[in-house]
Amino acid sequence: MAISLEQIVKIAGLAGEIMLKNGAETYRVEETMMHMAKACGAAKVESFVIPTGLFLTVYDSSGNLLTSMWRVRARTINLDRIAKVNELSRRLVAQRIDYQGAYSILEHIGRERTGFSLFPSMLAAGVVGGTTAIIQNANSAEVLGAFGAALTVRFIAHIVSRRHGVQFTFEFLGGMAAALIGSGLDNALPYLNRDAVIIGGIMPLVPGVAITNAIRDVIAGDLLSGLSRGMEAALTATAVAMGVVIGLAVHFVR
Amino acid sequence: MLGLKIAAVFFMSAAIGVLYRVPRRLLFYDGMVGVLSWLVVYTTLQSGGNIILADFLGSIAIGIIAELLARLLRKPATIFIIPGFIPLVPGGEAYTTIRFLVEGRYAEGVAMGMKTLMIGGAIAFGIFVSSTVYRLVINYNVENSTEHVRKN
Repeated sequence: MAISLEQIVKIAGLAGEIMLKNGAETYRVEETMMHMAKACGAAKVESFVIPTGLFLTVYDSSGNLLTSMWRVRARTINLDRIAKVNELSRRLVAQRIDYQGAYSILEHIGRERTGFSLFPSMLAAGVVGGTTAIIQNANSAEVLGAFGAALTVRFIAHIVSRRHGVQFTFEFLGGMAAALIGSGLDNALPYLNRDAVIIGGIMPLVPGVAITNAIRDVIAGDLLSGLSRGMEAALTATAVAMGVVIGLAVHFVR
Repeated sequence: MLGLKIAAVFFMSAAIGVLYRVPRRLLFYDGMVGVLSWLVVYTTLQSGGNIILADFLGSIAIGIIAELLARLLRKPATIFIIPGFIPLVPGGEAYTTIRFLVEGRYAEGVAMGMKTLMIGGAIAFGIFVSSTVYRLVINYNVENSTEHVRKN
């Protein structure tokens, strides 16, 4: 069965778009698109990927070519989808699945709600905050405070992203909320120090994916993507820091 | 106390995995990567090492373990790197920097900020070095054998 050029571009581009949207490194997106297009019968594949979009050109054996551009606006972090697309691309390359099957699975991966809903992820954020306080030698009241602060920060992040807030808004608001909660508990309870609570509260806001992808993109030679992701990480850290500054400043005014 | 901290690091790494929507059955590996790297840092600090050296060694451990696990389980290495290095992030130092700056103690704030940046740089370059070395080794092996090994 011959697969047309349009079909090849469609499946490879969709795979690349899903991976880019969910936080994959640049070289992984490029290689996945190349492997999938070649598995479908492309003679040569060229691609250019940056964090906000991708270009893809596919050549067939008789010299025809087709170029498409995919703009990626909203980006989230979902490592589960990346692992699934990776798995699918391996199966397609090993000829263990045909084009139609692969395309419908890909559409399903892009649509389905995977991972964990609001409550478990709030709980996970709380665990991150509480355990951070434990590592900082905090007492049990501070551990509980950090748990609550991190949980609240995650809830704020959910609300802001539900309302399509601008990037870096929820990091700023989260840092501010953590500082305010820490200061408030510090005032209310004499045996509790605000430091461990605030540190635990801002821990879920650490831009882990941006940092890791920036490093891995630079290693792979994708300097443009590496720099912009590094900038994203730095701006996120600044937003959190400014949020904490404002929250602490409120505390010190009194 | 050490046992409690190890348990805390394990649950912290696994919880970070939940936040970044890592596939459920890989959460255990995430926790183990976090515990191993944190133990490297802890041992180095206990034997009198500098915090920067300790975090560098710890993140080298993360990079190596993550690349090995990625190859073994055929999953992207990012899944294991991110939850692994979050327990090493200098959150306490970063917060202390902010507190000094808000209190108007700028000299101490800048000093603490430099320390935070150094620790962050050590973590970043630890992952950088181990991933690069791992890649060099893999490419060397590929060039010396006819067998085709796909990059993970």
